[in-house]
Formats: sequence, structure tokens, C-alpha cells
Amino acid sequence: MAQIVMSGNHAQSYAAMLARVQVIAAYPITPQTTIVEKLAEFVADGRLPAHYLQVESEHSALQSVVSASALGARTYTATSSQGLLLMHELLHWAAGLRVPVVMGVVNRAVAPPWSIGADYSDTIAQRDTGWIQFYAESNQEVLDTVLQCYRIAEDPAVRLPAMVTEDAFYLSHTVEPVDVPSSELVDAFLPAREARAVLVPGVPARLGSFTGPVEYVGFRHDVARAMDRVLPTLAAVEEDFARRTGRDHGGPLPTYRTEDADAVLVTMGTATTTARAVVDRLREEGHRVGLAKLRLFRPFPVEALRSLAASVDRIGVLDRSFTFGPTGAAAAEVRSALYAGSARPLVADFVAGIGGRDITPDLIARMYAVLDGPEPPDVTWMDLAAPEARADG
Amino acid sequence: MIEIRFHGRGGQGAVVASELLAQAAFLDGKHPQSFPFFGVERRGAPVTAFCRLDDRAVRLRTSITRPDIVVVLEPGLLRAGGVMDGLPPGGLLLVNSRDDPARLPAPPEVRRASVDATAIAVAHGLGTPMLPIVNTAVLGALAAASGAVRLDALERAIDRFVPARPAQNRAAARDGFGAVRLAPAEVAVRAPPVRAGRTLRAGLELPDGPLAVVSSATIATSAWRTMRPEIDLGRCTRCNFCWKFCPDDAIELNAEGYPVVRLEHCKGCGICAVECPPGTIAMVAEG
Ligand code: SF4
Ligand code: SF4
Repeated sequence: MAQIVMSGNHAQSYAAMLARVQVIAAYPITPQTTIVEKLAEFVADGRLPAHYLQVESEHSALQSVVSASALGARTYTATSSQGLLLMHELLHWAAGLRVPVVMGVVNRAVAPPWSIGADYSDTIAQRDTGWIQFYAESNQEVLDTVLQCYRIAEDPAVRLPAMVTEDAFYLSHTVEPVDVPSSELVDAFLPAREARAVLVPGVPARLGSFTGPVEYVGFRHDVARAMDRVLPTLAAVEEDFARRTGRDHGGPLPTYRTEDADAVLVTMGTATTTARAVVDRLREEGHRVGLAKLRLFRPFPVEALRSLAASVDRIGVLDRSFTFGPTGAAAAEVRSALYAGSARPLVADFVAGIGGRDITPDLIARMYAVLDGPEPPDVTWMDLAAPEARADG
Repeated sequence: MIEIRFHGRGGQGAVVASELLAQAAFLDGKHPQSFPFFGVERRGAPVTAFCRLDDRAVRLRTSITRPDIVVVLEPGLLRAGGVMDGLPPGGLLLVNSRDDPARLPAPPEVRRASVDATAIAVAHGLGTPMLPIVNTAVLGALAAASGAVRLDALERAIDRFVPARPAQNRAAARDGFGAVRLAPAEVAVRAPPVRAGRTLRAGLELPDGPLAVVSSATIATSAWRTMRPEIDLGRCTRCNFCWKFCPDDAIELNAEGYPVVRLEHCKGCGICAVECPPGTIAMVAEG
């Protein structure tokens, strides 16, 4: 195992190489570009003997890997923002065809107005397509989760596509030390895909063609049941991964200092790192606060949230996007998960960091203060004020 | 933890400088974190890069607004806003400049350092005389002025991660280390400059939609320019290629059909010079 200082994007590329992907198809878009540039380099210099398809759009990129995956290949693609939106139709195809495509997504704001900043609008808008969705907090988690996703996605009990997302710039272009496992270790953890090809060259067949209502319902229900099997599969995969690497990313909803907490903030992605430091500071000041990280958004970790809610009075949810419903998407999912549970703590939504705004320690401390206050509003937009000091020249 | 903010222009290597510092600090046993902020992704546009160095995993994933050190790769950027933001009394400002550090335009309570990284880069043949690559010379100066990283770690990082001319880049780092000039803080009186928070209220300060209510013609992209096109009209064939290719519409055609560069919009990208079939456009350095 070697430590390399690398970006979140290169953590995606290294993971795809270590997974020995056989087909890559991608179309470049900021801030994803360096993922596929690095993979092209690996293919060109022979380190990764894969087919690299240059395509004319994201739609074709996903179509290509869906087809290759249906033929039994292990595949990879990556995109961001508008590119992911252009893939939307094919996202449904990938899940409906039950192909275990793994995709890296750099979370970037959606236009208009034009922006390249971190924001979850792009992937949150795909939560209903049948893809597994992991949101990474660090470059290490990016690399490890991509590897874990191949195991989960290809598991016969699951056979669903998976995306591993990382925050634009806060991970995609941040370099930090990453443990890169040896190829022997990865080969043992992730053997070659069991070539259970759906389509076989020379054997004429149609995939995804017309069905009547009865079969259609059956296929949709199959996807739903496959989604239910992701959580137990993740648990087994993560246990095996931890045994081999010593690293455990804590399942779908890792928590921090929640044991005796009255108020817990639910975070996603890079905001979690900063929030952990804030929790320590507030704890020193005597506040009983904790945090939980939504590492997995699809399937949604309903049971883990319910057991967290059993001991907590108030839950704040940090939404790094807004979906124009009553609350942001993460808060809506948290509420929905808890409504049918036995404990129903107050749930308040905090919209922050959208369009690439910094989620600072002070901003997070203010969320805890609002959560602790007399009547936390349903939704609080945290950063409508201009920042104190700007560093964008 | 040390927080360092780099200011440069797209294409000048601020992001590479910050990443190289992170690699060097890692070899020194530190836990680094480096990332860029791009306003507009274009050559010549101001670029900021952030580097944190700590003894343990960094527990912040935000921009650096209270830097301990500000590094400026091009002195012209000192005129642009934002470079000094949040630098506290006693903080270090390092500028690539021929000037005496005491004459750098900075509040008197800031420690100032200057290094003529441009001359060092040119002497070692890094980049072109027109567009020298100054980042290794600047990092050498940073090592000397701040002690944030050791020179030998920097040299090892250059060997490993700089693909082009590692020997010359190492020499530039050593020269930068030796040539940096320091001026101490004069007084420590004023608080760091902080812009007051401002609340945006929909309908009051924002238009109804994401509409820029000014013409793009008012945007002075000329502020990004380090080189300027000069057209030898005697050899110009009036093919209009330069007019067609200029990404900022900075070239107009006069009544005779000859190109005229509108310097208030020209950002100095040099595309016109590359595209001109008879090669009549020369890019010359701005004074
Ligand atoms: S250098 Fe040439 S192409 Fe570039 S902005 Fe100026 S006039 Fe236009
Ligand atoms: S491209 Fe060159 S030759 Fe053609 S109009 Fe411009 S300056 Fe003249």
C-alpha cells in the first residue's frame, strides 16, 4: 500500500484502474475532465488494458458503457452537472437493464446561471432513476467506495448501477494523501466480473424491448427489491474491505459523537469534515451535539436513521441543493424515513453551500445554534449574505 | 496549521505551485491539502489556490479566508482586489517582483518579501521570456521566507512531480531561496481588512433572473493581459482569420477591411497570432 498525494478526481481514475475496468466511455466536462484524462493516460501507457471510447456526448458515453456492461464487461464512466442531466434517459436504462455500471460524478451546480461550484442538484435530480448513490467525504473515501461499488453493483443479489460522487473542487481538485492499495490486494477483494453476459454476440436477442403491464410491474418491483438488498450487501462488502485494508467508512450513515447528543446535524460530502471539527468545539463548550453523515443516499438508510432518532430531540439536515419542494431533498427523505418510525424528533432543514459557497465552521456553528433555538424554522437558507472576505481576486 | 493562499493568472502555474508545495510538505512528513478556486476558466483570468499544511489530517474543507501567508505570482495582481483579504498583522506577503519588499503596496503591519522570480525563471530557460514559469523560483523563496517547507523536500518534490526540466526547476528553487528579500512588519496597529457581510434581498439587489444588466462590452478583460498582439499591417492579407478566431471579439475590421485590436477587450491569449496565416501578428510583453 503506497500513500500518494492526489486529487479526488485521480482517486476515481486510480480506483477504475485497480478495478481493471475493460471499457471506458466518457465525454469531458469541468470539473470531471481530469478523471478521464488520467484514465486515457493509463490506457495509452499500457497500465490499463481497456477499450477507451471517445464519444460525442454524455448520452452516448452512458449508452456505450450500458451496452458493454450488458455484454459482460466491467465498465466505467464519469461526468458532472449538465453532462449528467444529458444522461438522464440512459440512467433509467442502466438501472432497468440491471447492468452494474459504475460512474464517478463530480457534484457541480446546474445552470442557469452558469456555475462550476459544488452543489448536489445534479445527482439529487437522479435519485429516482434506480442508481445506487454514494456521496464521498474525502479522496480516500472516493477511491475505496468506487472499489466497493463494483462488488456491490455486480453482486448477483443486486445488479444495479452505482454512482460515487465527490464535491466539485472541494474534492475533485483538492490534493491530499491517499492510501492506494496494491493491485494484488484489489484483485483478491474484487475478482474479474463473473461474465454473466445478458447479450452474447452471435445469439440474437433483444434487451429492454416492449412489455405488457404485467411484466412491466414485475421488472420495476425487481429493481425495488434489488435496491433493498444493497444495504446487507454493503455491510458484507465493507467488512471484507476493512479486513483487507484496515479502513472502514462506517456503512450508510456513520455517526460522530451522537451517543448522548440532543441535537444532531445530518451532513453529506465534504461539509462533514468541517462539521466534525465544529462538533468537537461545541462539545468543549458543553453543548450536546453530534453529527451523522449520509454517505449513502440511494438506497436511503431508513433503519439507521430511525435508530439515531430514538435518542435525539432535534435533527438538522444540511442540504447542498434545493429542489423547490417544501424542504430540500435530504431533509424531505429524513422526514419521510422518520414519520413511520416510533421516534419523531423535530427535523429542520439548512440550505447551504449551494453553487460552491463555502461551508465554513462558523456557518455550521450557526446551524447548531438555530437548531438549539426556540423554534427552528422548517427551512433556513444559510448563506444569503455575502462572505466576509473574498478570496476570488 | 499553516494556511497559504496563492494568487496568479490562468496559465501561470499558481495551482501547480500550491500542489507542488503540498507534495513537498508531504515528503517533509506534513499532512497537506491543496485546492484551486477558478473564477472563469480562461488563460489570463485571476486564479486562486489554497494550501494547508498540518501535522494531522486537515479538518477543514473550505477556502482560505484568513491566510498566514499570501503568495502573488505576478505583481500586477496586487492592484486587483482581494489579494490582501484576511492577511492578519504579522502575516507574510511574498510577491514575485523586482521591487524592494519595503515598497510593496501592503499595510505596514504585514511582513513583506519579494523575489525576482521572473528573472530567475528566464535565466534557467523556464517557460518563454514572454511567459516565464515562475512557480519553482517562488516556492524556493517561500521556503526561505517562511520555513513552511524545507528546500531539500521542495527539490525532491520537483524531481518527482515536475515532468519538464526538473534540473532547471531545482536550480530555480535554490536561486529563489537565496534571492528572496525580506522587509519586517513596520507596525502592528490595524486590524486585518475584512469586508462587512452584506445581505442580498431578492428583488432589491438581484435582477428578476440571472440577467447581467450590463453589456459584456463593459467587462475589462484587458486586465488579464500579460502580452499584447501587434499586427504588421504591411504584410496583412485581410483574410480576417484573426477577427473570426478572437474569442473575446476584441478585433474589429476598419473600413478598408484591416484588423484593429481593441486593447480594452484583448486578454492577450495569443490565439490571433497562432491563427494568422502569414504570421503577421506578434505577441509582445506588456511593459
Ligand atoms: S490576443 Fe488576439 S485573439 Fe486573444 S484576445 Fe487579444 S486580440 Fe483576441
Ligand atoms: S489573420 Fe493575419 S493576415 Fe489575416 S486579417 Fe488577421 S492579421 Fe491580417
